[in-house]
Amino acid sequence: MTDCGCDKAKAELEEYIHNELTRGEAEDIAEHMANCESCTGEHLVGLTLTNKVKSACNEKAPVDLRAEVLAKLREIQPTA
Amino acid sequence: MTVLLETRRRDAFGDLELSLMTIETPEESTPVEPVPAVEPEPSVEPAHTDDVRALFEEQALQYMDQLYAAAMRMTKNPSDAADLVQETFVKAYTAFGQFQQGTNLKAWLYRIQTNTFINNYRKNQRNPYQGTIDDLEDWQLGGAESVTQHSTTRSAEAEAIDHLPDSAVKDALQSIPEDFRLAVYFADVEGFSYQEIADIMKTPVGTVMSRLHRGRRLLRGLLAEYASDRGIAAAPATGRKK
Repeated sequence: MTDCGCDKAKAELEEYIHNELTRGEAEDIAEHMANCESCTGEHLVGLTLTNKVKSACNEKAPVDLRAEVLAKLREIQPTA
Repeated sequence: MTVLLETRRRDAFGDLELSLMTIETPEESTPVEPVPAVEPEPSVEPAHTDDVRALFEEQALQYMDQLYAAAMRMTKNPSDAADLVQETFVKAYTAFGQFQQGTNLKAWLYRIQTNTFINNYRKNQRNPYQGTIDDLEDWQLGGAESVTQHSTTRSAEAEAIDHLPDSAVKDALQSIPEDFRLAVYFADVEGFSYQEIADIMKTPVGTVMSRLHRGRRLLRGLLAEYASDRGIAAAPATGRKK
């Protein structure tokens, strides 16, 4: 059952998740996934991975940094 | 002799850095202290300094948190990350006259930060694979072989990933090769397009795709391992925990 579009879909899932496919290509994948549990599962894992990495890396700069950068910029004369 | 060496070293810098370097005095002989270029940037319009600064502060400083978060993934520690971000803003400000208004400022800042990191920080870190990581075969990278084989259902795997603590995700990210890590970061956290990532990392789009693919595969393997080690939801659905 490898000729049901799974190979193609799995190969392109990552690009699908990252919005790198053309609309037509994306529609093909979506259509395939509607009938394929395996690819739907892969998509779910991929999407979860993306979201997890994104939320885990959400970090704020230390409060002092802004003031330090501003002070530094004021020392520089770009048009002196 | 020294001049020659110096020149070659600087060739490793990106276009932007090169143009920044040209405004430094040729006598400058302390290679450990790159930039800060205090000399005027020739291409900056002789506009009012205050106007340029105000514009820069208004447009660029809003990306500080994001640049810092990226710097943390690059340098792996808060003090270097803060230094890197500061250096990035100084360079960007000095070169702001070269920035084309209307183009993607965030991507431009990321390009500067990535260049700065690669040139100033990365060479201090021990990385035996430097420059060859893209050539390694998958089996040489190791780690993720179990992903496709293990019997966990994919929905269970997704659930397990979802339940992992942030620290586990960051640790896993930190342990994959740097070029892969940055590609994953740029795509998944920042949402840059493959073309933008290619520009930032100065590499063809095909390489970006390969780095992303391999980085995510390694990450997935590490997270699955972590989850099963801690018994987080990933075990084949034998018993339901309540």
